[in-house]
Amino acid sequence: MPRLREMVKVLRSKNAGPFALTFDILFKDESLFRRALASGAFAPAALAALLDFPTDRIRVVPFPPAWAIKVTVPRRHSSGSFDDTDVFGCQQHAPLLDLEIA
Amino acid sequence: MKELRCLSATGQLGHGILRDAFARGVANKPDYIGADMGSTDIGPFYLGAGETESETEMIRRDLALVLQAGRKLGVPLVIGSAGSAGARPHLERTLDVLFEVARRHRLSFRLAVIRADVGKDYLLGKLRAGKVRPCGPVPDLTPERIARAERMVGQMGMEPFMKALDGGAEVVVAGRSCDAAVFAALPVWKGYDAGLAMHLAKIVECASFATEPGGRDAIMGYLRDDHFIIESMNPRLRATPYSVAAHSLYEQPDPFEVVEPGGRLDLSRSRFEALDERRTRVSGSRWEPSPTYTVKIEGVEKTGHRVISIGAVRCPIAVGQIKDICRRVGDLTASILEGDIDPADYRLKFRTYGVDGAMGEGERERNALPIEVAVITDVVGKSEQIAKSVCSVARYYLLHFFYDGILATAGNVAVPFVPCDIPAGPAYEFSVYHLVEVDDPLELFPIEYLEVREGAAHA
Repeated sequence: MPRLREMVKVLRSKNAGPFALTFDILFKDESLFRRALASGAFAPAALAALLDFPTDRIRVVPFPPAWAIKVTVPRRHSSGSFDDTDVFGCQQHAPLLDLEIA
Repeated sequence: MKELRCLSATGQLGHGILRDAFARGVANKPDYIGADMGSTDIGPFYLGAGETESETEMIRRDLALVLQAGRKLGVPLVIGSAGSAGARPHLERTLDVLFEVARRHRLSFRLAVIRADVGKDYLLGKLRAGKVRPCGPVPDLTPERIARAERMVGQMGMEPFMKALDGGAEVVVAGRSCDAAVFAALPVWKGYDAGLAMHLAKIVECASFATEPGGRDAIMGYLRDDHFIIESMNPRLRATPYSVAAHSLYEQPDPFEVVEPGGRLDLSRSRFEALDERRTRVSGSRWEPSPTYTVKIEGVEKTGHRVISIGAVRCPIAVGQIKDICRRVGDLTASILEGDIDPADYRLKFRTYGVDGAMGEGERERNALPIEVAVITDVVGKSEQIAKSVCSVARYYLLHFFYDGILATAGNVAVPFVPCDIPAGPAYEFSVYHLVEVDDPLELFPIEYLEVREGAAHA
């Protein structure tokens, strides 16, 4: 099974405001985008374990114009607060790199 | 209507405008120049401390470029989120530099200054009237939280900018603003379609970020009656249907809609078509006004003063149990300080780089043993003195903790420099990120006009 890092041209995390974190997964082409969507790997329940968030806090939005899937979760700690580790939220994407896509 | 040319100078004014692309933009005769100075992304410190995120010297350089260009062309210059966080001290700093630049270059113009500060009584009144709701996964707003706020700003929409243009402003310097409002206001004021203007604004506010391979160079939006065209002013950067569409994802929770103060931008029917290799045509974006007008309020509270200490642990016997060592040193520190410093007056943590520095408790890879671990002893105390005391005890006992199996009994941490305890200034956290229903889009954003004559300002 291919891993997500082999299928994308961009895979990044970033703040969406100080209280939310958003992952942008931009696929290399439309067929890879369709395949990833159809695989079920991006169902909130499947992402819950990987991202360590309850299913109902995970929002998944496919965006066909950019062959992209967007995943948004609440931040564990608001940007820049004492327990935060990543003010810009830009290094939280690593667990997604090796996600296997059926 | 005639084509309207919208030039965005740079991604964030004050970090160094790229001269070549900006000069090309100016040569293309824009109808206005816009520049955003802020970002939601810089964390709570700058709003709290009243400091600008960019350096004064660089703000001066960038302001000189855009101000001279605007005056030479005789077109408006619109600047949003002055001084990065857009509260009073940030606006004042930006204006000081602006006047200095105007003096040096003998520039004259009618200036509109729009403030964005939010008073505690105002917000408390709105809270009691039931006109406040959280913006996303945010803790509830309470009167106590409002009372504790260090500083608050509202993100202005298009209306205050349009009012300033009505007032004849040639240069607008605004406090905290919605990024898109900075660029959408002038086209909408001139009567262009709000959906297209807002979408164009949303793309150009990040300068050439929406191109391939991407950059911070100036970008031009050409707005027409039923579409707009995006073109980077750097000839090597290509605005493709893919890169322009993909930009809708950036820093937004939902790629199909952008929620703004007076409504929402609906991108579900937007079309992106290549005009040629470097330019993309966009159509179909729609603006839906909302029945209530809401302004997003950002506020921070001070959590104390920070003191840190940095070092590296290299001994594999220590590295193998570093989390456990840190936990035990934390407990030991607390027991040493008991009776002298109230535990409620400080927070201590050891940030372990090489183990889970980037992801904290979210880190799932716990098996690999790193060669070394950087440890930042991080303390936020009620006062700097308290933070210093706690930090000095914690990093001392980290250095001299006798962990299980210890062989290197002279010290556990390679310390790169002394003094070890580094004051890192006041610490803040976001405490307000809420939407407030307003009666009038202008009510939070007073406008003041000044006639600037070769740098001297007259009311």
